[in-house]
Amino acid sequence: MVEQTNTASGADRSQAGASSRNGFDMGAIVKRIFTRLEFRMLALALLIAVALSFASPYFLTQTNIFNILDQSVVIGLVAIGMTFVILTGGIDLSVGSVAGLTGIVLGLALQDYPIPVAILMAVLTGAGIGLVSGILVAYFGLAAFVVTLGVMAIGRSLAYILSGQTAISGIPSSLSDIVYTTILGIPANVFFLGVMYLLAWLYLTYTKGGRTIYAIGSNKEAARAAGLSVLFYSILPYVVSGAFSAVAITFSIAQILSADPLAGNLMELDAIAAVVIGGASLYGGRGSIIGTLIGVLIMVMIRNGLNLMGVSPFWQGSAIGSIIILALLVERLVSSRTDR
Amino acid sequence: MTAPSNAAMATARASAARHEPGVLLEAIDVEKSFGRTRALAGATFDLREGEIHALLGANGAGKSTLSKVVSGHIRADAGKLVHKGEPLYLRSTRDALSAGIAIVMQETTLAPDLSVLENIFLPELGTSGFLSRGKMRRRATAILEDLGQADVLSLDMEVAKLSAAQRQLVEIAKALALDAELIIFDEPTASLSAGEVERLFDVMARLKESGRSLIFVSHRLEEVLAITDRVTVMREGATVASGLETHSLTQAEIIRLMVGRELGAIYTEREVAPDAEGEPVVFEVRNIAAPPVVHDVSFAVRKGEILGLGGLVGAGRSETAEAIFGLRPKSGGEMWLAGKKVDFRKPAQAVRAGVGFVPEDRRVQNIVPDLSVKENLLLAHLGAHRGFGLGYGARQKKVDELLKLLDLPGHRLFDASMLNFSGGMQQKIIIARWLLLEPKVLILDEPTKGVDIGTRQAIYELLQKIAGEGVAVVVISSDFEELLGLSTRIVVISDGRSIADMASSALDEEKLTLLAAPRTSMRKNTAVLSALAADCGGAGFWALIDEDDLICLNSVVANPKAAPGFSSGEAKRFEETTIPKSLASRGQGFVTEADGSRSTLIVPIRSHRGHDFGWVGLTVPGGAEGYSAEEIRQRIESLNG
Repeated sequence: MVEQTNTASGADRSQAGASSRNGFDMGAIVKRIFTRLEFRMLALALLIAVALSFASPYFLTQTNIFNILDQSVVIGLVAIGMTFVILTGGIDLSVGSVAGLTGIVLGLALQDYPIPVAILMAVLTGAGIGLVSGILVAYFGLAAFVVTLGVMAIGRSLAYILSGQTAISGIPSSLSDIVYTTILGIPANVFFLGVMYLLAWLYLTYTKGGRTIYAIGSNKEAARAAGLSVLFYSILPYVVSGAFSAVAITFSIAQILSADPLAGNLMELDAIAAVVIGGASLYGGRGSIIGTLIGVLIMVMIRNGLNLMGVSPFWQGSAIGSIIILALLVERLVSSRTDR
Repeated sequence: MTAPSNAAMATARASAARHEPGVLLEAIDVEKSFGRTRALAGATFDLREGEIHALLGANGAGKSTLSKVVSGHIRADAGKLVHKGEPLYLRSTRDALSAGIAIVMQETTLAPDLSVLENIFLPELGTSGFLSRGKMRRRATAILEDLGQADVLSLDMEVAKLSAAQRQLVEIAKALALDAELIIFDEPTASLSAGEVERLFDVMARLKESGRSLIFVSHRLEEVLAITDRVTVMREGATVASGLETHSLTQAEIIRLMVGRELGAIYTEREVAPDAEGEPVVFEVRNIAAPPVVHDVSFAVRKGEILGLGGLVGAGRSETAEAIFGLRPKSGGEMWLAGKKVDFRKPAQAVRAGVGFVPEDRRVQNIVPDLSVKENLLLAHLGAHRGFGLGYGARQKKVDELLKLLDLPGHRLFDASMLNFSGGMQQKIIIARWLLLEPKVLILDEPTKGVDIGTRQAIYELLQKIAGEGVAVVVISSDFEELLGLSTRIVVISDGRSIADMASSALDEEKLTLLAAPRTSMRKNTAVLSALAADCGGAGFWALIDEDDLICLNSVVANPKAAPGFSSGEAKRFEETTIPKSLASRGQGFVTEADGSRSTLIVPIRSHRGHDFGWVGLTVPGGAEGYSAEEIRQRIESLNG
């Protein structure tokens, strides 16, 4: 009997060994999944969804789900650029006011140019502002926080000046097609958001530039010594961030058909919060685009849920702030246990 | 272990006390794990009062962990500490400090923006009450005087502006300000120059005389043999030899204990020096300058050759390599790679041209902690890669080859972080990062720093192998023994200038040390030589002289007819010079050569401690009629330290 048990467990062990070599060790896979921050955050997102569905029966209806996705588009697009910047160890505080300014540029351009040209002008403006910030940060070595704080002030001021202090209306209603057309049954703006996240994920995971961005954030000295183009890929994220701010505001304007110089106010805080909830480190090198998407969804779901529950907008800020801090606190406690 | 007789007597005297008197601290069966890694698995050791005790072991042996347990930085999982016969529980470094235990670590824990004085009393800022600056100043001065270092350190200097050695001194003073009785030195000499090491040893000896106990954690066996009283050797977290008397040990015995196996001759190469003479020069550097440290460095390395760049820490070797590689702006100089003139303004250009560089600091300059092992291995590939994608696939075959070479199982490539590997394996992966690109030239800065002896051997073999495959290898090392064993030729750099280029077979550790020493006396020497040569219409030189060869440290030729046939940095046999007879006899007066062309007076120079500083000579054309040998001798002897 004893011998038999021994052989059996021996066989078990060899089988387990073989399966782990083939990558079918379920335990290891589960463990690997749970040591990944994105999955823990996904679990958190689902938990929040379940809680909110109990709090409001309307929360899980198809209409509301589409609402949530729709509300995620603008902040989601800005958060892509913010992820790029934060991965290099930088920060971009100017996204909100760049969105405001490029929105005004779009509004003005639409008065004289066809829609695609006007959008291109707005996006190039955003990218150009990002280029300036990027050069100041990466080439001149100024602190990203201070540079983008300055650009934030300049951007907002220019938005007011260019707009003549009032919102620009009279936006051609055909612009709203980019929101209300459906592709494969999905609203165009949500579809676009998905495509952008897919492209950003592919870029950050499977290209030289993407990996260089991670390497710069993780150890700039080592990246330089290995011959990576540190300067170029330190500037690029700011350009991407500026461009995405413009794209985001384009979708926002397409919905309300008005360009407000105040648009995008405090958007940088939502974007940074989403990226950080998604697991990125503000020191750079750590984080993922999928994590950011989950972070965006968590933010939007909470806001949406609170609205459904009729919580006063004045209380919503407190609620969202507390949930962000709580999520990070729990995450820190959990990860310090699993990591070591 | 035999109990020393005085300890036995003491035991008899104080039999009431449960601990063996004279023992300050005992660690018994200490265990500690980090995750799945067992850093300590039954570490035991005892420290007597007033001794210097070496804690030895290869990297990962657990000696640093044990020091941190004793200093309260880490709490042990099991085992106990006994301090003066009482069990000691340390919950924090503060507990350890109040028990009189302090540690001086590799990376100092000073506040860089505060002054020396403020740093010395930094721990007291944590206590309540006012600090009297005058009192602090008097106390700090007294401490530094006790250490014999009052002249070395100004109390008002900002710590950020201090050298590594001075910072260490501040750390020691800080420990003494807390009345520490036990001071742990964790690799204290790693970043010190030879002179600074001697000064540190002087300080350690004074501490010992004042009755304090020191733990000395080090890789450097010569230092351990020179300064410690007893030795404890650890291997894989456990103590393998506890409290052996240092004077009874040889280096070979210690290495055997550390490695656990007999080590062959570490430098096999000495016997089979690959002769690269006939091979083409792959990479040549001329008059490279990168202020403020690098002034004028030239060298050339041939295909398949290992060229050593020797010198002391701070001589400008790392900075030279960084300037070559485009990591540091150059102010002058030219470079040729495979006959073509090159100029690397950024590393990417060097990488694509086929030059690899492993910088000195693994953690700061090499490892990207958030990328996987595989991505770290492929990082230089990414630097060289011109495409948009990753292009990892094209390197897969070479990666597999390298894994075999490194002895690294394939699945570990997917480890999320390199930091879980031993320092030696990290270093091998970093070197492999460049081998992947099949470089023409590979420059390595201190490739075995912080690497255990076993891996060191593997790295030497690796470098010899790639040199054998035709790579021109340049190795920077402060370990002269390593440099001599590894390289075919050595270029010595001192004070930012290449001052000698010699076959390593013509050198030994002594000569190399002499050549590398930054010579504050060089300026004075040059002045005396120039004056003599000009006044006498001849040539002056300063050389180290052996039985039948010499190394020239300095030479000034005022009259070509008197040229002695060698110049600065050259090593020559007597018969290859124009003054063989004078060199061989080194008589009291001028010696005239057999052909009557030149006469030479050669005078020995000594330091104040009587160390041989070589010989200074004056060569004049023809016989030496009309010269007063005595007067010239006196002028030369003015150089004696």
